[in-house]
Amino acid sequence: MSMATDPADIQPALEILSDRKDHRLLSHLNSCVHCGLCAESCMYYLAHDDERFVPARKVDLVSSVYRRYCTVGGKLFPRLTNARDLDASTITEMVDQLFGACTMCGRCTMHCAIGVDIGFLVKTGRAMLSSMGYTPATLQSTVNAAIQTGNNMGIPTEEFVDTLAWLEDELKAEVNNPAASIPLNQDGKTILYTLNPREPKFFPMSISAMAKIFYAAKESWTLSTAMYDVTNYAYFTAHAPEATLIAKRLRDETNNLHVKRCVLAECGHGSRAFRWEAPNYLEQSFTVDVLTSVELLAEYLREGRITLDKNLNQELVTLHDPCNLVRQGGVINEQRYVLQRAVSRFVEMTPHGVDNYCCGGGGGQLAMSEYNERRMKIAEIKAEQIRRTGASVVVTPCHNCVDQLMQINNKFKLGVQIKTLSEIVADALVLT
Amino acid sequence: MTWYRYFVLAAFILCVMSLLYHVARLVRMGAPRDYSIRKGNVGSTVAYSFIGAMNPARKESAYLHLPTYTAGVIYHIGTFASLVLALFYFFSDVPGGTIRWILAGLLSVSVLCGIAIFIKRLLKKNIRSLSNADDYIANFLVTIFQLVSLSMLVTQSGEPLYFFVTGLLLFYAPVGKLKHALYFFMARYHLGLFYGWRGVWPLRSHN
Repeated sequence: MSMATDPADIQPALEILSDRKDHRLLSHLNSCVHCGLCAESCMYYLAHDDERFVPARKVDLVSSVYRRYCTVGGKLFPRLTNARDLDASTITEMVDQLFGACTMCGRCTMHCAIGVDIGFLVKTGRAMLSSMGYTPATLQSTVNAAIQTGNNMGIPTEEFVDTLAWLEDELKAEVNNPAASIPLNQDGKTILYTLNPREPKFFPMSISAMAKIFYAAKESWTLSTAMYDVTNYAYFTAHAPEATLIAKRLRDETNNLHVKRCVLAECGHGSRAFRWEAPNYLEQSFTVDVLTSVELLAEYLREGRITLDKNLNQELVTLHDPCNLVRQGGVINEQRYVLQRAVSRFVEMTPHGVDNYCCGGGGGQLAMSEYNERRMKIAEIKAEQIRRTGASVVVTPCHNCVDQLMQINNKFKLGVQIKTLSEIVADALVLT
Repeated sequence: MTWYRYFVLAAFILCVMSLLYHVARLVRMGAPRDYSIRKGNVGSTVAYSFIGAMNPARKESAYLHLPTYTAGVIYHIGTFASLVLALFYFFSDVPGGTIRWILAGLLSVSVLCGIAIFIKRLLKKNIRSLSNADDYIANFLVTIFQLVSLSMLVTQSGEPLYFFVTGLLLFYAPVGKLKHALYFFMARYHLGLFYGWRGVWPLRSHN
């Protein structure tokens, strides 16, 4: 990677650091006291035992540049506070640490002695890098695919429609009702359901599962061929204009189809990016109700719109909590409420909930093949968590986590099945 | 008024002006506006951020490092007590009776905590690698400040040295990490706001 660090080249990054729209960034940039007690909260540090991976070091990469360019002390006495120039060496280190050694899981933030939002500062650092064009090409290509084709896997519309057509045929056969359907582009329905493009590409049965649940709940719903992608990888590159463009497409599609609710498929970062970040990208609150499919499933059960027979799922099941859904999105109890009604035997991982470890594939890691070795090294922690439960099925409401868990299953020979929440609910569904 | 009282007064004014500058800047910037639809109760979670979430049982950084965390808490209490004491010294006299000896006891432990934290920073590779000169200077100055405060309490002498050290600390405070005396509260406010807005905090039992 050639590094051009003329003042004009680094100016966009410095503008991000000197953001004055509110006091969030300034507060976190000035708070870390370098106590280092965050070390054990980071999977990278735990797995590699390397001090470069202590979260406070990642914070310091960003705050040291802030001190150099935005504080009097850093300008006059840079060595006193280790205020660093944003030069080639700093940029190389930032790319390696902020993109290559952080899943943005936010576990360190939750456990920081002070309360520094470390994930937010890592994202700020990524934003600085992307503003200068230093996003890893592998990750950027995923964003480019989404922008150019409308979905991050570049699935052509014909292929998508064909897939849904045969899934619809299977649904009709399964529920024994020729009127059962997977509606497309229908105006005025209650729900616009989104998908992670991995579903039509690799995991079509999770679409079938959700379609069956919608059928059982007698839901008024539709998919869109124009914009169905729930993901927003520009959230991981922290490139605000691109993240805004992707978010705007989905927001506009909810308006075009005049739906009342937008239900986000099982995708942790997609849920976060649209439910929590998109309104801020767009500087506008949503006029439709935006919720995750996990919350919808819990709602169906609470309202008695679907009936489950937990005896249909007899194996011991455990749950992997996706970081962006749980720790960053507040969907903590709903999946447990659903699982307690969908499976006979359930066991929690240790730790779980807001303290759970990332699968290792978050933060765009699955898209950045150059860091595969590190990613699978930190995955040992998740593999051990799963092994200790003794479960034979791991449920997770996130397709990104599903991908990583399948790789973990394979590499560490866990011999478990990986399922999404909708899949295990569909397995227990009683059609009346 | 003696030279060292002028010295400490000048340092105090500079420190307060710097603090006011930071406060004014924060007030001018204002709290973030979030356009997403709020899920939780922000007021109670900001309070939780300062109280419940500070419970050592809630944070790995505390329960995995209980001796260091405890030392840090005592050290900060010692610093706060020493600052209050400095106001007393400047405007009136040394507190007497039982309070004097309770404070002396606290500061004795607190100074030891400060020294322990300094040594840990020097010896532990993890912490040393992320430390800069400011980290050591701040730790050193605060510990020396507590030590001279303790000395004043016990011996009731050594006023020039006491005020000189106090002045040095106040002059230095606006420069480096000691600013966290203000920004710590801001960080915790933002953490409570973030987790409260999204309904992550307060933690509820699973149903």
